[in-house]
Amino acid sequence: MSHPEHCPSCGSCGFPMREPADFAGGQPGAAYCSTCGDDAGRLRPYEEVLQANADYLVRQQGLDPNAAREMARALLAAMPAWQTGAPRPGA
Amino acid sequence: MKENLVPVSGPRPRTRQREATRRQLVEAGLRVVAEHGFAGATTAAIARATGKAHGTVFVHFATRDALVEALVAEVGQAMSQRLSVLPADTCGVGEVLDAHLLALGEHEVLYARLLREATALPLSARARVFALQSAVGSRLRQALGRDVGRGVARAMDPVALTNLWIALTNHYLMNRDLFAPGDSVVSLRGAELKAQLLAVLQP
Repeated sequence: MSHPEHCPSCGSCGFPMREPADFAGGQPGAAYCSTCGDDAGRLRPYEEVLQANADYLVRQQGLDPNAAREMARALLAAMPAWQTGAPRPGA
Repeated sequence: MKENLVPVSGPRPRTRQREATRRQLVEAGLRVVAEHGFAGATTAAIARATGKAHGTVFVHFATRDALVEALVAEVGQAMSQRLSVLPADTCGVGEVLDAHLLALGEHEVLYARLLREATALPLSARARVFALQSAVGSRLRQALGRDVGRGVARAMDPVALTNLWIALTNHYLMNRDLFAPGDSVVSLRGAELKAQLLAVLQP
């Protein structure tokens, strides 16, 4: 599968990061996006990241807030940043 | 900042081999899904397609769900990359639709399978689809604001715009055998879908 102009993805939510504003702290090279990381580029606490990702699904597509939260939980559980010690879907 | 533990000469041969085998399994999985759907993409079928032992699949993926998640992630990642190359500050709605159609066209068979079978897949796989759709929505929201400012589009609820576009494209993809028998529905009907949406936005 080809990636014509590959850009890095957030290790927490998978969001592709291209513009400086996409990266945590506005720093290209940060491992996380501006939603999942803080101004210093560190990963925010799980609960904050979960809610921010759920809110994103609600804001963009109008999902039911509880359904969006479960969906965000499932999405994060499959991401590298949350592979160990993270709450699993339905937890 | 994490320490870089990988030697400058690159991964060790054993790691490279492991990555190569995982890659083979994913590539084979995508081929099997394209032909037989997710329901037909059993771990045994994917192992057969690579010529490897069935147990090899579970060395790389703890469960079938983990393998399905990896296949969906592969498609979602490639499609997200298409959207991410759009100029962040200047593109209009038409350009976002073009980029999305390009991404859909490149992965049409797999993505149509994914849409048809989404409710039977692990929630994490379905979440990937919605994450991608949200990325499209985010781009559309920004582009709509620019087009309204330029006077080339009328204002409307960005969520409604996103869902209208997603519903339109998903309907054509899920029924591609009826809208474009034996052909690519994106190639054959994509321009028509784009024109329909832009007509709704006419000031």
